[in-house]
Amino acid sequence: MDYDPMIMDTEAMGPSVKITEAGSHHVDFELQTVDLAFANSLRRVILAEVPTMAIDLVEIEANTSVLADEFITHRLGLIPLVSKNVDDVVYSRDCDCEQYCELCSVTLTLHARCTGDEIMKVYARDLVVAPLRPNQWVGNPVITDPEALGTVICKLRKGQELRMKCIAKKGIAKEHAKWAPTSAVGFEYDPHNKLRHTTLWYEEDPAKEWIKSKYAEWEEPQQEGEPFDFDAVPDKFYFEVESVGNLEPDAIIQQGIKVLQQKLAAVIQDLTEGDANGNGLNGGYDGPRSPDIAPAWQDQGYTTPYGNGGQASAWGGGAATPYGATPYGQNGANGWN
Amino acid sequence: MAPAKTKKSAKVVASQEEDITMDDAPVAPQEHEDEEGEEVAGEDQAPPEDEDTLEQRITVLPGGTEQAASFQLKEEDHTLGNALRYIIMKNPDVEFCGYSIPHPSEALMNIRIQTYDGTAKDALSKGLDDLMDLCDVVAGKFQIARDGYMNSEAGKADQPEA
Ligand SMILES: [Zn+2]
Repeated sequence: MDYDPMIMDTEAMGPSVKITEAGSHHVDFELQTVDLAFANSLRRVILAEVPTMAIDLVEIEANTSVLADEFITHRLGLIPLVSKNVDDVVYSRDCDCEQYCELCSVTLTLHARCTGDEIMKVYARDLVVAPLRPNQWVGNPVITDPEALGTVICKLRKGQELRMKCIAKKGIAKEHAKWAPTSAVGFEYDPHNKLRHTTLWYEEDPAKEWIKSKYAEWEEPQQEGEPFDFDAVPDKFYFEVESVGNLEPDAIIQQGIKVLQQKLAAVIQDLTEGDANGNGLNGGYDGPRSPDIAPAWQDQGYTTPYGNGGQASAWGGGAATPYGATPYGQNGANGWN
Repeated sequence: MAPAKTKKSAKVVASQEEDITMDDAPVAPQEHEDEEGEEVAGEDQAPPEDEDTLEQRITVLPGGTEQAASFQLKEEDHTLGNALRYIIMKNPDVEFCGYSIPHPSEALMNIRIQTYDGTAKDALSKGLDDLMDLCDVVAGKFQIARDGYMNSEAGKADQPEA
């Protein structure tokens, strides 16, 4: 666990995590000695990019309920499904199958028919999970209520029937919110607003009119007449992660960090592979370009990079290079073609 | 989602291969066709994590120098951009690092690096490695904190059973 302490400013001990509260559906923690950019990346990634399971395809055989097919389909999609060890499931788009199979999906069937005079409620527990699936947890509807019913999907009157096959797939909330692992991620820092990252609206006195955050007592309030610290940066971040029930809260955090690392790994791999085969990195000649900079860019700042229009630069202005005839007609118009 | 999306009939596969060879071919005058080929590929595999495509995820934008270059990352946004920008800026060899998302409806992120010493690409590599290490540390610290909490009295009270 050693890494360059240079990264973390003065604190040689590096980042720290303190759990303040945890339960089966939530975890509150304090992340310290990281910067705002990293903390926010973690927030974004657990909110939108941690994969889970959700119903994605519905084949309707019969629907004589009062709700339209797409209405029920939408409701089915939003039912949280257990996504424990979802790594065992492959994305359908990466799978070798035609459309979906037991490696990349879980099939749930729903068959309900009201025969009595009373209105019948169809619940998430009525979804029957097919035995062939990537692992033993994935795809089970999340049921947490004491009666073990789950969410209501639809109500049926006498003679009405629902018969459908639902295909649950792996996905991320960036594509559709039904794949969200969290119902909310609380993210807070600087409870006394000492950094002035926000402006509090007020009538007479913001200190009286705004309710203090519960984290306010954990940090030193601003002293009377204390000058503004221009060098201060946020350092403590308070997370409140609330799981939908498909993943355990700590699994969400761990998976989130993993997703972030997978992104990094993909870029690192591309960067080194581009090196290896020599060509890789350089993009199409017709694409966007780096900003046009003057050769002596490490100057005293008197010149702007845009100053040398048309002049021959270190890049050999005017010479015919592969960059030459771009559709944008930059040829010879400036210093870097 | 739509059934047609993941279909792989022999016909479709053949046409995909055509696309790939087109992309691999040395940059020819037909920029327009190249662009189209890319668009089709991008549509076929929705968000990120597409291991089986040969598409380059990162490119160096032309016009840079060894010490000052802009890189373009596909399918990345503020999630990676800002954290990477910060960590690269921490490198004392780096004079400047900034990122931008040129257009909200294009899944592209540009990152600009200018160095005092060493190449911009090395600075990017180091930044990626540093951020990877930081993730490792935070993941480790979180696990330790969680295990500690679960074994503490508060943790036991919070967890009736599960
Ligand atoms: Zn499959």
